[in-house]
Amino acid sequence: MSIIWLIIMLLSIAALLLVDPAAALEAMITGANDAVSLALTLVALYGIWLGLFEILAQTGISDRLAKLLHPIVRRIFKGEDAETEKYISLNISANLLGLGNAATPMAINAVRGMKRDPDRPAVATTNMIMLVVISATSLQIFPSTVISMRAEHGSADPADFLLPCIVATVASTVIGIIGVKLISSVGRAVVRRRKKNAGAAL
Amino acid sequence: MTLYIVPAIFLGVLVLSLLRRKDAYAAFVKGAGEAIELMAGVLPFLVAVMVACELFRVSGAAAALADIVAPVLAPTGLPPQLTELLLLRPLSGAGSLSVLENIYETYGTDTFIGRCASVVYGSSETVFYVSAIYFSKSEIKRLRYAIPLALVASFIGNIIGCNLCRLI
Repeated sequence: MSIIWLIIMLLSIAALLLVDPAAALEAMITGANDAVSLALTLVALYGIWLGLFEILAQTGISDRLAKLLHPIVRRIFKGEDAETEKYISLNISANLLGLGNAATPMAINAVRGMKRDPDRPAVATTNMIMLVVISATSLQIFPSTVISMRAEHGSADPADFLLPCIVATVASTVIGIIGVKLISSVGRAVVRRRKKNAGAAL
Repeated sequence: MTLYIVPAIFLGVLVLSLLRRKDAYAAFVKGAGEAIELMAGVLPFLVAVMVACELFRVSGAAAALADIVAPVLAPTGLPPQLTELLLLRPLSGAGSLSVLENIYETYGTDTFIGRCASVVYGSSETVFYVSAIYFSKSEIKRLRYAIPLALVASFIGNIIGCNLCRLI
């Protein structure tokens, strides 16, 4: 993340220095302003969703949802406790419904609750990467924003892209999950071999 | 259909909490109170991501990069007119939505390009935003391969979706 951010900043500011130096600060202020007004909107939205979540927890619905998704969640995210699994289940459910803003606070809590590697506490574990990859490849089955935008722009059939879109959504998520599993198992095999070699050297 | 999801969820949950004789009001207030603390942690990341995104767009670096990348897209079957959308989609929802609107106005919603753009926007997420925000309240600094993998997976999904648009 740090490197990508740095590259984007360097490229853009260098380009602006040549083309239009006055626009640099202006763009930064616009961006920061957007962030603050988005944050205000999000405080309101998170307030609603976290409020609902507390009722969900109190009535036991979130426990039941977690139990329902447990067979899947357990297989994808190995070795997390029940509380974290609950947040993961809620994150996935909200993402499936297209409620990204409800999914985000659940994911933040899930990441906070996940076990960390004691040797490298600042490095994301496989489960954390899995959560990010699943959300970042989109789980939304019904892209309501796009459908209403198409309708607004005079589409004869606003839902005409739905089938390819769902296939793309599912394909990207499946590829993401398989990718994480593959990379983590290759990583584990390398670590094991290294340990074995170290043992043989002794 | 989707219009009914949110009110139905709230209604169902509130009715259930009434049936179980729980204090929904107290619970809601408690949960809502966590929002400010959560946002205070998220805001710095939001500023960093959105400043970078705005600079990327305004400086023309996004458009220039799109021109460079466009020829690479040819063998994938993705129309080259979508490069700017493909580049901005992982960065910002609002920024890429204005690009999508632009595509609809220029090429129409029901053309191949318009439908492909719909698939790209509808089947992808703001990868960088999600990655930054999800870790905002933890001490995790290194995300390892999370972002590249999410980008590659989304891109393959986009290719599959757009090529299906030709057939369906």
